[in-house]
Amino acid sequence: MSTMLLADNVWWTQLLNGIFSWAFLQFLVAFLSIFGFIMTSAMILILAERKVMGWMQDRTGPLHTGPWGLLQTVADVGKLLLKEDIHVVMSDKILFLLAPSVFMAPVIASFAVLPFSPYIAIPGTALATGIVYYVAMSSIDIVGVMMAGWSSNNKYSLIGGLRSAAQMISYELPLVLALVSVVMLTSALANDGIGTISLLQIQQYQNSWMKTGNGVLDFLFEGFTPWSWFFLIQPLMLVIYYTCGLAETNRAPFDLPEAESELVAGYLTEYSGMRWALFFLGEYGNMTIVSAIATYLFLGGFSGPGVAYLTGLNNIGWGLAGNLLAMGYFTLKVYLLCFVFIWIRSTLPRLRADQLMQFAWLILMPVTLGNILLTGLLYLLLEGVPSWLFLVVTGIVNWAMLFGFIWLVGRVTVASTRRAQSPAVRARHYASPASTVQLRDGVPTQAVPLPAGTEAASGLK
Amino acid sequence: MATDQENGIYTQASDATEGPKTQEMLLNMGPQHPSTHGVLRLVMALEGETVVNCTPVIGYLHRGIEKILENRPIMGGIRYMDNADYLSPMLNETAYAGAVEQAMGIEPPRRAQYMRLLTNELQRIASHLVAVGTYLLDLGAFTPVLWCFRDREGILSLFEALAGSRFNVNYMRVGGVLHDFPKGWLSECTAFLDQLDKNLIELEQLITGNEIFEVRTQGVGYIGAQQAAAYGLTGPMLRASGINWDLRVDRPYMAYREVPVNVQVRHEGDCFARYKVRVQEVYESIRLCRVAIDKMPGGPICTRTPIALRPPRGETYFAVESSKGELGVYFISDGSEYPWRAKLRGPSFVNLQILPELLRGYKMSDVVAIMGSLDIVLGEVDR
Repeated sequence: MSTMLLADNVWWTQLLNGIFSWAFLQFLVAFLSIFGFIMTSAMILILAERKVMGWMQDRTGPLHTGPWGLLQTVADVGKLLLKEDIHVVMSDKILFLLAPSVFMAPVIASFAVLPFSPYIAIPGTALATGIVYYVAMSSIDIVGVMMAGWSSNNKYSLIGGLRSAAQMISYELPLVLALVSVVMLTSALANDGIGTISLLQIQQYQNSWMKTGNGVLDFLFEGFTPWSWFFLIQPLMLVIYYTCGLAETNRAPFDLPEAESELVAGYLTEYSGMRWALFFLGEYGNMTIVSAIATYLFLGGFSGPGVAYLTGLNNIGWGLAGNLLAMGYFTLKVYLLCFVFIWIRSTLPRLRADQLMQFAWLILMPVTLGNILLTGLLYLLLEGVPSWLFLVVTGIVNWAMLFGFIWLVGRVTVASTRRAQSPAVRARHYASPASTVQLRDGVPTQAVPLPAGTEAASGLK
Repeated sequence: MATDQENGIYTQASDATEGPKTQEMLLNMGPQHPSTHGVLRLVMALEGETVVNCTPVIGYLHRGIEKILENRPIMGGIRYMDNADYLSPMLNETAYAGAVEQAMGIEPPRRAQYMRLLTNELQRIASHLVAVGTYLLDLGAFTPVLWCFRDREGILSLFEALAGSRFNVNYMRVGGVLHDFPKGWLSECTAFLDQLDKNLIELEQLITGNEIFEVRTQGVGYIGAQQAAAYGLTGPMLRASGINWDLRVDRPYMAYREVPVNVQVRHEGDCFARYKVRVQEVYESIRLCRVAIDKMPGGPICTRTPIALRPPRGETYFAVESSKGELGVYFISDGSEYPWRAKLRGPSFVNLQILPELLRGYKMSDVVAIMGSLDIVLGEVDR
């Protein structure tokens, strides 16, 4: 066998077979579209952020570069590329220069597990372990931020880096736990009771349509059943995942590491030019990934009316159209979630570092753990009932939990602020009438003329 | 306990904490920093993120305004008062012009008094809008500041129509004001106030009930009533600590003797109370503006004064309730047309004194939350 291989597959045949294969073409298309997607998506998002925030803040946003300011980001990138790359003298040079790449690389790598359409996906490799791979990649980001914070030799950077490390590590846990409950749902839906962590398969579990034979219904709903998307069954987990995603990407209201009003720019303070832009690109890439994962896990991925029907026709033209349609649906859903990112940023103030930690460890962790426990219990109790009934019961329980969660956060806020205001309350309660401050002294408002002939005490001539 | 003599900064190691101690970090916040509201420099000793000690360093915006006033004829000095508290020039000018009037025994005509009241209250609205907006910007919210500046822009446009200048208005004169209202100005002002009412409700919906805003501000930076009085705080800072003290009511001047003011008082003494007092004062100022427009009397806008103003030899102190607190001018005249001395009692400068006391023990994120709630203007602190 091995001799056969050696004899048959000399290097050029191997190479030719590799290059002129269907799989390689698929890989190439997937890679290029992913890389292009990250770059263009970051540029579009930056422009969209400025425009949307301008709209929300009653101003116009960029307006003068290109028609309606559309070329603003292009001009910005051009400026950043031409800018001088300034190094701090006393910095740890290797770490300082390496940090942007360490931050940016995992962002690009994370996209490997994202299928954009039924065919545009890096084939085979990491798809089977989608969620685990994504979580691993997203935690490597922290290293880049820590490196930047430490190596800049700047106190603001150091505080920013440390804050960021603490924040990202803390929010990683509820983020993963929120995803676990989705995986549990898939194992309840699977025939053999074994769930999946592949993003493509999780998406398929949300869109299972029995062919009815009715052409219109089949066209619309084949591979597109929005009533069984997981955000209806686990709404609380979507909220928690999204919140943790905000914290992971250092977006407002969790943007403490780069809190402008406190830490100037946090770990970015000493960076300029393209190195700074790499951090920026990474942040927006991260934002896209968080939205994309949420899309797959809760919003049915790239499914939409017509996608599965067209790609199932076994016709190259219609298949292409189906793929483009799928990419369109996917991009639409991702940008919808990104819009919520921007919306939140322009609405909410920033949390304090210790409140941030309390929120992660005292509220989000117990809630996500409790949800896992509850989902497992329901799975055990409802063994044998049809899967739709299980989903309905889980959904009802989880919606109740969502409202409970909102109530809980409100209660915690009220309780903590009341405790914080207690000195004032106590001081007012125990104030005796004798200690009240008397300020009214009846000073005349008219000028008191000096008696004639006397000199002012201030030494006038 | 240790005193760092070389740096001249008193540092205190916490005796209570056991275990390994980290080195205290000396952090220079400012003078170039996004949230020091100008060029204030804070030298902070940090233990982790906890502030152990804080020393404000001022003087980066010193322009010698008090000395300039001594070298200008009195009318020429009014223009320099604009630059002291550059967020409320109308109020500064009123204080200076009022001090000279008090020294000379001039009473401005009734119409001028009401015009002063109207412009002063508009200026107070503008200043409070900036205070609220930048405070929310310090806390990380991006939208309120732009909404506030949008509304403030309306006031500045009104001032431009009235005085010819948006910012350094140079509008008050000894014995009255410079120009009468242009045609249609009052109706424009009324329309603006109606719009402002709606915008304020929208702004409050965005900010006041927000949980993050509440946990960031409630109970943070607590000042008790006794402490506030002992530090000589005035304005919203004092009223947020539960002391009902407002110069417009307690030592009424000009048209405030005829127009009653509802003083806004809160008892919590924290950053939230200070924010809330400012917002309530904006509502109150809108009401006062409407009252002033309704009651606007006719008549001359300025008394006839000699070209060279020579106040009689003597001293006088005149204070107005500025947007930040008591803005007083201690005016000493030697009988010439130049003031011998014009000392400003700036509310920002006095209110800033409590900052080191307030910051001790708070986290670094609270530093900006507390400092923003003081609403200081460095132009007036340094003068």
